[in-house]
Amino acid sequence: MFGYIVQRLLIMIPTLLAISIVVFVIIQAPPGDYLSSYMAELQSQGEAVDPQKIEFLRQEYGLDKPMFEQYFIWLTGMLHGDFGYSFEYNLPVTKVVGDRLLLSFIVSFSTIVFIWVVSFPIGVYSATHQYSIGDYSLTFLGFIGLATPNFLLALVLLYLANSVFGTSVGGLMDDKYLGAPWSWDKMLSVLAHLWIPVIVIGASGTAGMIRRLRANLLDELQKQYVVTGRAKGLPPRRLLIKYPLRMALNPFIADIGSLLPHVISGAAITSIVLSLPTTGPMLLHALRSQDMFLAGSFLMFLATLTVIGVLISDLLLAALDPRIRFQGGTAR
Amino acid sequence: MRGAAVLWLLAAALAVAAPRAHAFEMQETPSLRAEVAAGKLPPVAERAPEHPAIVDLAAEGKSIGRPGKDLRILMNSARDTRMMVVYGYARLVAFNEKYQIVPDILESVDVEDGRSFTLHLRKGMRWSDGHPFTSDDFRYYWEDVANNKKLSPFGLTTGLLVDGEPPQVSFPDEWTVRYSWSKPNPLFLPLLASPTPLEIFMPAHYLKQFHAKYADPERLKQMIKAAKQRNWAALHTLRSHSYKNDNPDLPTLEPWVLVTHPPAERFVFVRNPYYYRFDKAGHQLPYIDKVYMDIVDSKLIPLKTESGETDLQARYLRFDDYTFLKRGEKQNNYTVRLWRTGTGSEIALYPNLNVKDPVWRKIVQDVRFRRALSLAINRHEINKVVYFGLATEGNNTVLPESPLFKPEYLTDWARFDLKKANALLDEMGFTARGDQGYRLLPDGRPMEIVVETAGGGSEQTDVLQLIHDTWEKIGIHLFVKPEQIEVLRERVVAGEALMSTAAGLDDGVPVADVSPAELAPTSADQMQWPKWGDYYDSRGKAGEPPSLPAAKALLDLYKQWGVSDDSAARTRIWQEMLKIQADQQFTIGTVSGVPQPVVVNNHLQNVPVKGIYNWDPGAHFGVYKPDTFWFDNAPVQTASSGAGRLE
Amino acid sequence: MSVETQDRLEGPRLPHYVSEAPFDPYAVEAMAAGQERYYLAGQWRLMWWKFRRHRVAVASGIFLILMYASILVSEVLAPYELQTRNTDFLYAPPQAVHLFHNGHFVGPFVYGLRTSLDMETLRWVYTPDHNEVEPIRFFCSGDPYRFWNLFEARFHLICPAEGGTLFLLGTDRLGRDMLSRIIYGARISLTIGLIGISISFVLGMTLGGLAGYYGGWVDSLIQRLIEVIRSFPELPLWMALSAVLPVRWSPLIIYFGITIILGLIDWTGLGRAVRSKLLALREEDFCTAAILMGAKPRRIIARHLLPSFMSHLIASATLSIPNMILGETALSFLGLGLRPPITSWGVLLNEAQNVNAVVVYPWIMLPVVPVILTVLAFNFLGDGLRDAADPYH
Repeated sequence: MFGYIVQRLLIMIPTLLAISIVVFVIIQAPPGDYLSSYMAELQSQGEAVDPQKIEFLRQEYGLDKPMFEQYFIWLTGMLHGDFGYSFEYNLPVTKVVGDRLLLSFIVSFSTIVFIWVVSFPIGVYSATHQYSIGDYSLTFLGFIGLATPNFLLALVLLYLANSVFGTSVGGLMDDKYLGAPWSWDKMLSVLAHLWIPVIVIGASGTAGMIRRLRANLLDELQKQYVVTGRAKGLPPRRLLIKYPLRMALNPFIADIGSLLPHVISGAAITSIVLSLPTTGPMLLHALRSQDMFLAGSFLMFLATLTVIGVLISDLLLAALDPRIRFQGGTAR
Repeated sequence: MRGAAVLWLLAAALAVAAPRAHAFEMQETPSLRAEVAAGKLPPVAERAPEHPAIVDLAAEGKSIGRPGKDLRILMNSARDTRMMVVYGYARLVAFNEKYQIVPDILESVDVEDGRSFTLHLRKGMRWSDGHPFTSDDFRYYWEDVANNKKLSPFGLTTGLLVDGEPPQVSFPDEWTVRYSWSKPNPLFLPLLASPTPLEIFMPAHYLKQFHAKYADPERLKQMIKAAKQRNWAALHTLRSHSYKNDNPDLPTLEPWVLVTHPPAERFVFVRNPYYYRFDKAGHQLPYIDKVYMDIVDSKLIPLKTESGETDLQARYLRFDDYTFLKRGEKQNNYTVRLWRTGTGSEIALYPNLNVKDPVWRKIVQDVRFRRALSLAINRHEINKVVYFGLATEGNNTVLPESPLFKPEYLTDWARFDLKKANALLDEMGFTARGDQGYRLLPDGRPMEIVVETAGGGSEQTDVLQLIHDTWEKIGIHLFVKPEQIEVLRERVVAGEALMSTAAGLDDGVPVADVSPAELAPTSADQMQWPKWGDYYDSRGKAGEPPSLPAAKALLDLYKQWGVSDDSAARTRIWQEMLKIQADQQFTIGTVSGVPQPVVVNNHLQNVPVKGIYNWDPGAHFGVYKPDTFWFDNAPVQTASSGAGRLE
Repeated sequence: MSVETQDRLEGPRLPHYVSEAPFDPYAVEAMAAGQERYYLAGQWRLMWWKFRRHRVAVASGIFLILMYASILVSEVLAPYELQTRNTDFLYAPPQAVHLFHNGHFVGPFVYGLRTSLDMETLRWVYTPDHNEVEPIRFFCSGDPYRFWNLFEARFHLICPAEGGTLFLLGTDRLGRDMLSRIIYGARISLTIGLIGISISFVLGMTLGGLAGYYGGWVDSLIQRLIEVIRSFPELPLWMALSAVLPVRWSPLIIYFGITIILGLIDWTGLGRAVRSKLLALREEDFCTAAILMGAKPRRIIARHLLPSFMSHLIASATLSIPNMILGETALSFLGLGLRPPITSWGVLLNEAQNVNAVVVYPWIMLPVVPVILTVLAFNFLGDGLRDAADPYH
């Protein structure tokens, strides 16, 4: 087990390195750089820009250096914990991302909890009452959530919330709590705003989880040991919980690895529409204005998070399922 | 000249000698009373300059207001903090509502021969932190920033150069600054009045701590390290972005001062206690105590506005939001006003007269072709479909509000006439048609015009769609190619792009004293003749001289304007240039005066019902002086308000 | 039986049959015709039968076939041509179809629309004129179009009355009929998914197959590659890649670029599934037999290994298509995917993503309905396929 962990950790390093190269190439690929897009934006609004000042800034920010140098500066900086400088905000990246990260976590975490809480009972019910009306209708409901494009749903819910409940539009809390210290009222305001993104993002994740749980549970229910248990006289519910359900929980844990990036990316588009002060809109803005360090460092961060998440879920799975341990790899 | 100078000196002497008697009693600002009482701020009489700028509200049709209350506005990104510098519009000289340039921060300006400018500062004027505002701040900029090799490695900004020649700058005394060139500089004052002003002063007392010449080297090194900058020049530049408005510690002269450190979702601006404008009743402006700027995704701004979450909003509201905004008026206590945009044309086509392709170049340079294109645009349909018929159809020219306007500038060659357009093209010899029905060029290619665009929303797409449909009827195939703006500019300058789109004239409401540079080939940024403009801009080192007689005429007229000194001559020059533009169709306009929704809280006073929403001149709201806006439900001052009396 | 055993048994006695005939160990049980068909049926036939049981999947399959078939004749199905504008009917609401006028049966028709401009709210107001009956024509000659850009024609399945209007789903801001645009939009949206999935299918099979069969360092390398790609959250990667696509490329090339991007990122799931199945099946006897008989690796993979789980692959692929459709929609929403003049459902939804569409002109949001239906249909179909995938289960 220990050897397995060490092996996985070691393999992480070249993976992360490869990811960093890909990220850097992607960020730099569009023509121009931060300053040229800044200048273009100003000019398109009729604001005059002094080209000499731009040249000066270009040198200051190091944007005139060749690609390799910029990459190495960035990479070595990251290894020191220095994620670079955001041109847009004129601040170190860590400061810009910091606050938003907390809110991102709150949203993502709530969404994951929502997904589990909703999909678990539905999945179990669906599997045990296969092909019944309840099964069909619940699955259908789940699928609707999957099929509706996030952003439209968000916009509609936003408008409904505003016209029916009077919730202020967009953001995660009422304007007056922005920048204010945490208080009970602030919490309530956040909760009042939180349910929209959670439902929108959670809707699509729920359907997938229900399906998977149902499929796995169905597989397990047909296995020999269930028949044996039934024949031996175990009451159905106890039988269900004691054996197949545990096996069917496999995907729940295994999927933490893939659930996290899915939630973050689903959260991104919803956050953009709802104007949540989370990381999604910041990333889109950074990508558009080619704020290289901000976008690149954040993408790296997300990727690292996923890699670690996959590692954790693989480890958990290995701990849960002895077969995996002895076969020395995931059996999926 | 000498006589005038003596008169000025006399007046100044009188002003100094006479006791400081103000024509009104200065009132202490209610929100600052506590601080004054606690001794943290001096009383209003000492905070104001000796001769503050008095705003005559009655003359402008406005009412005297009451200080108090906070204003909420919505913006899209943290970069928009610069809009407070634009809206505040405190400039050395500024445009007034009639678009004339008048002294603002400066008490007065003496101009000699159009080439020598003596700027008189207001005595006793202070920065937002209380430090005096003197000619030392100008000296600091000139000697320690503009002429410092580290801070300005590329030399002076182009606005300070006339034919490449730098000015002679002198500081006769604490309250006087002098800029002079050997040739007239008609652009100097308009640049100072621009929403993105020509910077010729900086808060020396604050910035010296970042300057290697004045700062303690150890402290400076620590600050550089803490801010993660490369050197002291980078640190100094970082801290001194007065336009960008991202440094709460940087003193300013604007009516509202930033107090929130970025990044933030909500930026707070509080009143500047040392502001130099007053109303006739003695209130120190601005009336509004605080401005809250919330950063929200631009797509949500119409929704938030409709819910009443903003008190004054025009930016990020578009004309097609009008119907939606009207719905919330009664319930959320605001009114949607319709101003007009001030650009010469909302969307204009720029045929590239310097296009590389020789066949196309000959065609585009033929005035008949451009006229045909213009005649084949159904502006009425565009107006009806996109703007509900509320815009003004016609050429890319000055708006009717400008004193230089004449109806023929708007309508020459702009009436929809397919027959005439077809006749012109037939006359040019393009009678052959291809198998798809489009006319053929002399070398057999079909007449396909690729219009390259950047940015532009659904409005632009719609207008181009309508133009595409009518140009079909004269046998021309229009393609739209969207691209990134850097790429577009490169292609236009290189002559690869045949036609592009952009807004029309920046200044749709000029007066004769404003420079007509836009109408002549003077800059490489002009998309209709980048190479000719470059030739003038680089003083003959790059580009090509104009080959068309009409363009040459425009350039000559522009040069004449530069050396003319009386208004009548300048007016005549302007009108000749406008006539040539309308006749030659160098840029093809569509509609102008497009309605711009402006949402105003019902309690907010002194906001014009009808206005022009323009960037330069106009500064969007700046020219209407937001510091004079006030809430009529602000608390009323009690009788014992402790007015600051002057001795 | 004793009473005790009877007590311990749960439930009623199971019925069983006892034959009176003497025991003949050599008698062969003849199978009924149905049973014989079942046992002798090939793998694909068994799958088909199992699939047919899942009725919703079958219905979805039929729906999708109809949708894809409609792509071939979009020009005929749509009442108007794609670019037709009606300047007099901007933002017109959907027209209701009536059968009875003043009590008489007239056949399907719509009432004429009267236009007026509300200057207060700057809104076009349309009132149906109950005196003007505009019967709908079928198999008629309407807007001219170029069929697949090959030849001109005017034949439509359904058209408005002469000089009349037929806006079953309303019009947009330039007066273009929403229904026609949705029908034309299907062409792009549905095929993007197919092309993207084929790219990802090919990639997944090849790379997954190589990894699974050869193992060792090939496997390690490909697994690392998969991990790298999977580590990125989908949307930011799409955003980044789409930002790379130069805006100046022709819309068609951008379309292919988008499909390639979608396919490039999606193949990992398939690749992993292929790899793990191959790893397991590699040890099976039939594979060993083939190796011993001298078959080359390519033949073994293609001829023996892949077919045994092709059904699983197809099921997974079917479930990925809706992801692509939604992905294209999301990208167009962000302004990073397709743009006008290309018309896809994503582009149509892009025009709906402002608050005006939600509140003032809600019919602009209608393109979301075919998106939902298609995605649902693919999901159900995929579910059915997957259930049927292993008939020997």
